[in-house]
Amino acid sequence: MKLKHSLFTRRQFLNGLFGGWTTALLATFIYPVVKFIFPPYREPDEVILLFSDFEGMAPGSVKSFPWGSKPGILKKNDDGTYLAFVGVCTHLDCNVAYLPEQKKFFCACHDGWYDEYGTNTGGPPPHPLRRLVVEIAAPDLIIKREDVE
Amino acid sequence: MKNWPKALSTWLDDRFGLSAITQFLKEKPVPQHKHSIWLYTGSAILLFFVIQVVTGFMLILYYKPTLDAANASVARIMTEVPLGWIIRSVHSWSSTFMIAFVFIHLISIWLTKSYRKPREITWMSGVFLLACSLVFGFTGYLLPWDDLSLSATKVGTDIPRSIPVVGAWVTTLLRGGGDVTGDTLTRFFGIHVCILPIFIFLLLAIHVYLIQKKGMSIPLDAETRNEDVPTIPFWPNFVYREMVVWLVLVGILFSMAIVFPPSLDKQADLMAAAPEGVKPEWYFLFLFQTLKIFPAKILFVNGDTVAVLLMLMAGLFIFFLPVIDNKPTEWKGKIITALGYVLVVYVLIFSVWSPL
Ligand code: FES
Repeated sequence: MKLKHSLFTRRQFLNGLFGGWTTALLATFIYPVVKFIFPPYREPDEVILLFSDFEGMAPGSVKSFPWGSKPGILKKNDDGTYLAFVGVCTHLDCNVAYLPEQKKFFCACHDGWYDEYGTNTGGPPPHPLRRLVVEIAAPDLIIKREDVE
Repeated sequence: MKNWPKALSTWLDDRFGLSAITQFLKEKPVPQHKHSIWLYTGSAILLFFVIQVVTGFMLILYYKPTLDAANASVARIMTEVPLGWIIRSVHSWSSTFMIAFVFIHLISIWLTKSYRKPREITWMSGVFLLACSLVFGFTGYLLPWDDLSLSATKVGTDIPRSIPVVGAWVTTLLRGGGDVTGDTLTRFFGIHVCILPIFIFLLLAIHVYLIQKKGMSIPLDAETRNEDVPTIPFWPNFVYREMVVWLVLVGILFSMAIVFPPSLDKQADLMAAAPEGVKPEWYFLFLFQTLKIFPAKILFVNGDTVAVLLMLMAGLFIFFLPVIDNKPTEWKGKIITALGYVLVVYVLIFSVWSPL
């Protein structure tokens, strides 16, 4: 049945109402499912390590530390300062290794190379290794994300 | 009650009405022509699939899908469980054989154009089955949880990240977080033994049903000339022939499994550097090599993004092939057949090139 000035029939109206209602109901079921399958993930703001564990490193050597679920790499430069990186290749996420004789970071997955400052120099990596900020506050060694104050 | 088996079967038939199916299979004609050999690839896939299900059920009795226990439980299957090494080896080899036959099945149907009307949906369900098989392979590869499988999974799950907009989301979904961790292992295990089996059984049911409903296709030239193609009955003539093929394949499978069992490296260490020689399973090598030859930047876009988008488009093209190839006898159809040959050559060359 359609009233004279109506744009749609009563049947269409009711179908629309029913369809909309069913969709809304479904959405309320799907939303929690989607929420559930994405676990929360947060990168640490900072990690606090014992400085005494890293103090004795020879210049030019590296030592790794856990940065959340990724490996972090702490490198002692020849002048005694420290640099920290997230030890994960910027190409497709493989963990990189440091080759001290060549002063380079190397990713075995697709032959990616970085120099000793983490700048990408060869192979597929599109960006330099991510840097972290090193703060020495004996007895702690604090390693922070670059954007955390 | 001398004739009780007969009585029982009549009793059951009165209730289930299964004689309609046996009657159907006896009457179902299987055409005999120069391309008939490809008909055996489908049942070969089924054979390996059944072997996967059975050996999978066996492995799951000992496998433990957690960060600390996974690698050790596979080691235990290999060393302590009676005949465990053969079961794992057969599971691994059978997956290889199954996927190989899926590829052969697909390309034989492409080249003979058996997907043409009215078998479009049979083909499309087949493409989904191919995707399922590949995901089975990809998730199964991680389960032994050794160095190589960890790095390969890191790379594999990072690839979708270069898809615009939804990419990062897909990567998090696959990994169960920002990184490959114990959560990823548990997730892959769940996909491998619970989610995918449901899908693959459903798809198989659709696929097999459609094959029965539409019957076997006959070669294009015979169809256009309206020729009569000789046939044999499906049961028992064709099934007996298939059984001969199965016997040979099982022989090859077990020989390979016993002579070349898969290795198991030491437990994956999330913090360790990637080992040398990280590579996916052989059936992903051509995609892996394709990614490798793309430069880091093409004009202003990320090379990987271009590569991944191209692959997605190729996937869509294959999925819609029966719809695109709607005039099989004309020049468009010929080009599409030629593309099939190009695909074979491309996959072969890139797969061989990759490890070099
Ligand atoms: S993941 Fe490091 S080069 Fe590809």
